[in-house]
Amino acid sequence: MARALLFAACVLLPIPAWAADTINVYTAWPESLSQPIFKAYSAKTGVPINFIRLSTGELVARATAEKNNPRADVIWGAPGDGFAAAKAAGIIEPYKAAGWAKIAPELKDPEGYYTAVSKNTLLFMSNAKLLKEKGLKPPTSWSDLLDPAYKGQIQTADARTSGTALTRILSIYYAFGKDEEKAFDYQKKLHANVQVYTKSGGGCTIPAAMGQAMVCIAHMPDAMEAKKKGYDMLTTFPREGVAAVIEGVALVKGAKNREAATKFIDWTFTKDMQDLLDKNEVYMLPTLPEGSVNAAVQALMKEAKLLPVDLEWVGKNRKRLVDRWINEVIKD
Amino acid sequence: MSATGARLRLVSVSKRFVRAEQGVAAVDDVSLTVEPGELLTLLGPSGCGKTTTLRMVAGFEPPDSGRILIDEQDVTGLMVYRRNIGFVFQNYALFPHLTVFENVAYGLRVKGLGAAVIREKVERVLALVGLPGYARRFSNQLSGGEQQRVAVARAVVVEPRLLLFDEPLSNLDAKLRVQMREELSRLQRQLAITTIYVTHDQEEAMAISDRIAVMQAGRVAQVGTAHDLYRAPRSVFVAQFIGRVNLLPARVLRADAGGAVVALWGREVTVPADEPVAAGQSVSLVLRPESVALLPERAGVPAQEFAIAGVVRGRTFLGEKVEYAVEVGGTLLQAVSYDPLRHGLFDVGAPVQIACAPASLRLLRGQG
Amino acid sequence: MSPAPAPAGSPRAALRDPVLAPVVVLLWAAVALFVLYPVTRLLALTFWDDGPTLAAVVELVGSWQHRRALWNSLALAGLVGAAGTALGFAFALLAVRANLPRWVGTVLDTIVLLPLISPPFTAAIALIFALGPRGLISYHVFGIAGLNIYGLGGTLLSETLTYFPIAYLTLKGVLANIDPTLEDGGFSLGARRWRVFRTITVPLAVPGIANSFLLLTAASLADFATPLILGGTRFPVLPTQAFLQITGLYDMRGGAALSFLLLVPALAVFVAQRWWTERRSVVTVTGKAGAATRVRSLSPGAVAALVLVCALTVLLVLTFYLLIVFASMVRALGADNSFSTAHYAHVFSGGLKAIRDTLVIAAVCMPVGGLFAVVLGYVVARTRFPGRRALEFAAMINYALPGTIVGIAYLVAFNDPPLALTGTAFILVICYVFRYSLAGTRATTALLAQIDPSIEEASASLGARRDVTFRRIVLPLIRPALLAGMTVLFIRAMTAISATIFLVSLSWSLVTVRILEGITNLELGQASAFSVMVILLVYAAVILSSLIMRRLNAGSLGQAGTLLGG
Repeated sequence: MARALLFAACVLLPIPAWAADTINVYTAWPESLSQPIFKAYSAKTGVPINFIRLSTGELVARATAEKNNPRADVIWGAPGDGFAAAKAAGIIEPYKAAGWAKIAPELKDPEGYYTAVSKNTLLFMSNAKLLKEKGLKPPTSWSDLLDPAYKGQIQTADARTSGTALTRILSIYYAFGKDEEKAFDYQKKLHANVQVYTKSGGGCTIPAAMGQAMVCIAHMPDAMEAKKKGYDMLTTFPREGVAAVIEGVALVKGAKNREAATKFIDWTFTKDMQDLLDKNEVYMLPTLPEGSVNAAVQALMKEAKLLPVDLEWVGKNRKRLVDRWINEVIKD
Repeated sequence: MSATGARLRLVSVSKRFVRAEQGVAAVDDVSLTVEPGELLTLLGPSGCGKTTTLRMVAGFEPPDSGRILIDEQDVTGLMVYRRNIGFVFQNYALFPHLTVFENVAYGLRVKGLGAAVIREKVERVLALVGLPGYARRFSNQLSGGEQQRVAVARAVVVEPRLLLFDEPLSNLDAKLRVQMREELSRLQRQLAITTIYVTHDQEEAMAISDRIAVMQAGRVAQVGTAHDLYRAPRSVFVAQFIGRVNLLPARVLRADAGGAVVALWGREVTVPADEPVAAGQSVSLVLRPESVALLPERAGVPAQEFAIAGVVRGRTFLGEKVEYAVEVGGTLLQAVSYDPLRHGLFDVGAPVQIACAPASLRLLRGQG
Repeated sequence: MSPAPAPAGSPRAALRDPVLAPVVVLLWAAVALFVLYPVTRLLALTFWDDGPTLAAVVELVGSWQHRRALWNSLALAGLVGAAGTALGFAFALLAVRANLPRWVGTVLDTIVLLPLISPPFTAAIALIFALGPRGLISYHVFGIAGLNIYGLGGTLLSETLTYFPIAYLTLKGVLANIDPTLEDGGFSLGARRWRVFRTITVPLAVPGIANSFLLLTAASLADFATPLILGGTRFPVLPTQAFLQITGLYDMRGGAALSFLLLVPALAVFVAQRWWTERRSVVTVTGKAGAATRVRSLSPGAVAALVLVCALTVLLVLTFYLLIVFASMVRALGADNSFSTAHYAHVFSGGLKAIRDTLVIAAVCMPVGGLFAVVLGYVVARTRFPGRRALEFAAMINYALPGTIVGIAYLVAFNDPPLALTGTAFILVICYVFRYSLAGTRATTALLAQIDPSIEEASASLGARRDVTFRRIVLPLIRPALLAGMTVLFIRAMTAISATIFLVSLSWSLVTVRILEGITNLELGQASAFSVMVILLVYAAVILSSLIMRRLNAGSLGQAGTLLGG
């Protein structure tokens, strides 16, 4: 019996990523979006990809905790602000993929720490039936949402766990012309109408779809996903504008499978991969100019007024903004 | 503490159980009357139905058929808490979370009596059962005998019309049992409450009861005073249950004035008979061990006595008495002699004569 | 309860025993490394920053969110304790005192099992489906729109329904053990049913009621997943805050400090509960076996009321589970109710790794943890080794603490070399072993109390060394305890989340974490499918274990109640 136990212990003892050529990935994208892409790479190259899905906050926290002994090789698919934080925490290293030069400057870190794989933005997703019942038009402005008719009818992401929430805070900040006081004043008023803050960015899409709330403020892919599932949803943008979001990719500092990881990042910035954004109905725009564009998505994005975001500034002020949100906005 | 004892009547009460663990315990057409102030004992072996009968009187079990009348009031369908009875349980059932005082006061509180009245009554009854000053204690601080007394106090303080005891002494050791039964008897007489007492201990039953109802397999075998039951058992079962007995098979030869002539060990003897018997009938003769005298082999025997030769096969010296097993005509007879230090002992294997008065041979129909 | 037979030998002899001493040293080493060290590191992180400091705690208490979280945790725990105990009491009364036909009791037992064998937040998901703003019950059946189940109300309801079975199982045992002649005594003294209930039954059940209350309070304090789903920002609680502090705000120190805030009430409740159960019980055990039918101690009106309450609860619980099964089989609940096997297809393809990983971990836990529990129980109950009581208490600490605290402590302690264990299966197994072995240890000591120590003395007198005696004599006799311990470990390994959510990694994933992810990503169909799988697997394990126990004549040890209530 003792021998069996000893054997079991040895088998399970800390063994670093054992398969010789595997790539370990942390991603914030929902599995349904990320897995097909990773599978495509593995099918093409024969290199398996081991990934785990975490929310942006968890992702950065875990990678930071593992700084001295990183488990992941690549952070693939997370909002830009997360990468700003990661850069500040010193857990990623610069790597410029082969197609790096073709990416527009606002879509990457100038030093090459991270590069956008896709473009994204925020929108209002509304339940058509509920709106009709209440005789309301779908909201087209941030101030529309302050209407008492929406009391307890809005769901959106919790800033403590979701990157989408930060996009929302930033959108409001930029929409109010970078006036932080006005922005937070607005958010306090908005809070009165919020039913619940969801843990993940897309967490409000299904409840809104099922009629538990009228409006869900979420990232574009989540909203389109719900529509694809067959829910009767309307999508609108606030005319004051929404923040332009990038979903990025970066190499982890001290990655154990650096070789394989860099090859994977290289592939990310090829037409093959970027085409998948359209083919797989990821509902985000590619960053490589030659990537094929989903017509519906492009038409949608045309409606939006995209506000540019200063990622360096965000990286420095992220914690402060979130703390303000916790201490002032959600206080009842 | 005055109590008007009620008259209890059971009329053809029956109950059937289908519990697997106990077998089919039943009460089968039991009719009894208990007079006011009387202590009647239900006596019998386990499973005879005595406890079930008691519980039906209390109201814990409804009878399947028959009626129960207390002072001619039909209580058969009445709930327990309306019958105004006092029940003393075998395990005392003292409330462990209440003090002795609160235990005894429980029934009085239910009646809604005032605090002063309750205090006075409780203290009086505790003194009555010999536990003054025990009011503040808890049941787990009391000995078995003390717990028993508290249980009795609790039952009598509410001045019930009936007092019911369910084998209250069976958890006590022998000496304590004797002492307690004397106290219970004294208490009952003093309070004059009609009482039904259940036990399997025949000595206990005989010591305290006014009358005893012997039960067997759900039926009442015989009712009577201890003296009646001992002297004139009407069935082999009763004869064997009350006291020890020698059952001698005999054959009736002919009836006679005041008795019957039977053949016993080949000899003729005239014995008293309560019921008419026919010649040729097989009967049993009941002979109590203390009625058997042992005499030396060649001693003279008084003329009217029945004597026969035997051999001592066993002897147990018990201090105040000695018990012998004597072989007579192929049967082993039990005999008891008192004051053996004065009368001497017979050795095992010694040839003796056993003698008894013919009147000691009671005739019973049927075999043993 | 009669005292256990005293262990033989002297402490000094125990020390010199060539087999016993190394085993105890090994046990101590394991407990020190995997229980005491992580907690110490956690406290160090909270209270040490180049010198002792209260800064972290002070900063916490300064934040309104965290103050509110502390208050909410305590208030919620108290309410869940009260509500769950009351509901469990109603069920227990119905099962034990209402003289209903046997099948009622069986139905109750089976239904009540469901919350105990499912992941702890199953009720929360179902609640959203059923009673949310457009819930299938609240809106589609009763036409109540805009019902807000987020916050205290929803969390209270969900946790009460999840934990009341523990109260039911505890109180059922207590009520069944009350000597029926005590109630008969009350009746014979003229008291009516309600009075007997009030003045006799309830006071005698108080120890059980208090025990239930404390158990449920502890469970609610530690519950991390339900408030995560239903609490929202308006109802923060400590374990969820600690989790968010670390995973959302990357603040290890803050998370550690929050854990400490939670640790104090949790430990207090745990100690209170242990002290309470160790007190001499007021209840006397009945003497006469198989007492005949007594007076019905519940009036028909009372029985009707109880039946109503219990039937409603049972209906609600069943609806929840049916909703989950239903959700796992339709494409998208609420929008597209067409039948679909897609979710199960995913469970068996993409989700297979999680299932396989979880089963492997559970399978390894069972013998390791089972043996550990049994050896520990033996050392504590049967030897006079000095310091064994301390060892027993130390081994219990990880059980007493809320899972979140243990998870964070492990994260802090085992992240960096030389003991970089996070991300391995080893740490997951260790976590479960030291958290859930208590049931096995308790079962062992209970069984050993019934076995006369002279049996082992006989073995020793025939020349057997201590380990030989243990292997050939003791172990076969305590097989039921070993099996009970292993079953509990399996069940917990399949359903636990609060500690292990911090410990999953690229290499090893757990089904419960996948379920939570599914919920947060609103892949509700998938989450439901995984949940159904877990419930089926655990149910199968419980049945199998009960059958084997029955073969081993293990008595009450094998009943689901004992296995799951602990």
